[in-house]
Amino acid sequence: MSVRIRFFAQFGELFGTEIIQESVPGTTFTGLIMEIAAKNKEGYDAIFDKNGAFLDFVILMKNGKRLDNADAGKTRIADGDEIAVFPPVAGG
Amino acid sequence: MIAIQTDDVDIGALINAAKQSRTGAVVVFDGIVRDDDIIEMELEAYEEVALKELERIAEDAKQKFNLQSVDIIHRIGRLAVGENILIIVVSAGHREEAYAGSRFIIEAIKAGVPIWKKELTRDGGRWVPGDHPHGSGSKKT
Repeated sequence: MSVRIRFFAQFGELFGTEIIQESVPGTTFTGLIMEIAAKNKEGYDAIFDKNGAFLDFVILMKNGKRLDNADAGKTRIADGDEIAVFPPVAGG
Repeated sequence: MIAIQTDDVDIGALINAAKQSRTGAVVVFDGIVRDDDIIEMELEAYEEVALKELERIAEDAKQKFNLQSVDIIHRIGRLAVGENILIIVVSAGHREEAYAGSRFIIEAIKAGVPIWKKELTRDGGRWVPGDHPHGSGSKKT
């Protein structure tokens, strides 16, 4: 399956702003981001804690809707989904 | 008009367009790039999501504060010191509603709309930290 991943602000600088990731069906939100972050220690440390959970301040979205960080490990991603990972917003 | 765009906007034209026959007050919020020893500011947005959230905030504000019109224009891209970042124009029958509605909109934008600012300095750049630093739980609007 193919998933579009968007990173913003400092996370975009660490990972790239847009990645099309090919992954196996059934992969979770956390699993998918870990596939990318595994190759990037600075990026990994910016978004994951030492237990492999998203840091509390990291904001997650799936298809434009907020996803609670506590649910990311059990949320399955489907072909064609768009997911986003970003730091706290600072507009205005 | 609800927009995320690189171009500046004619605030005077927005004010004129906001006035209706039963308008008693128009409030304008103009957020500006402040000189905090920076060269420029770079703004980035998750545009598709941010635009929908701005539209939802505008609709919420209209209903909660009985506003007659709401314009929100958030700029992105590189902006120099003194340039407009965010313009909010609201009109209402009375000043209380117009002030309260304008305040509601700016606070909702700061709390939850996916837009980020990077201050560009002579030494490089620094991302402006958000006011609501966590990603657990629901949107705080």
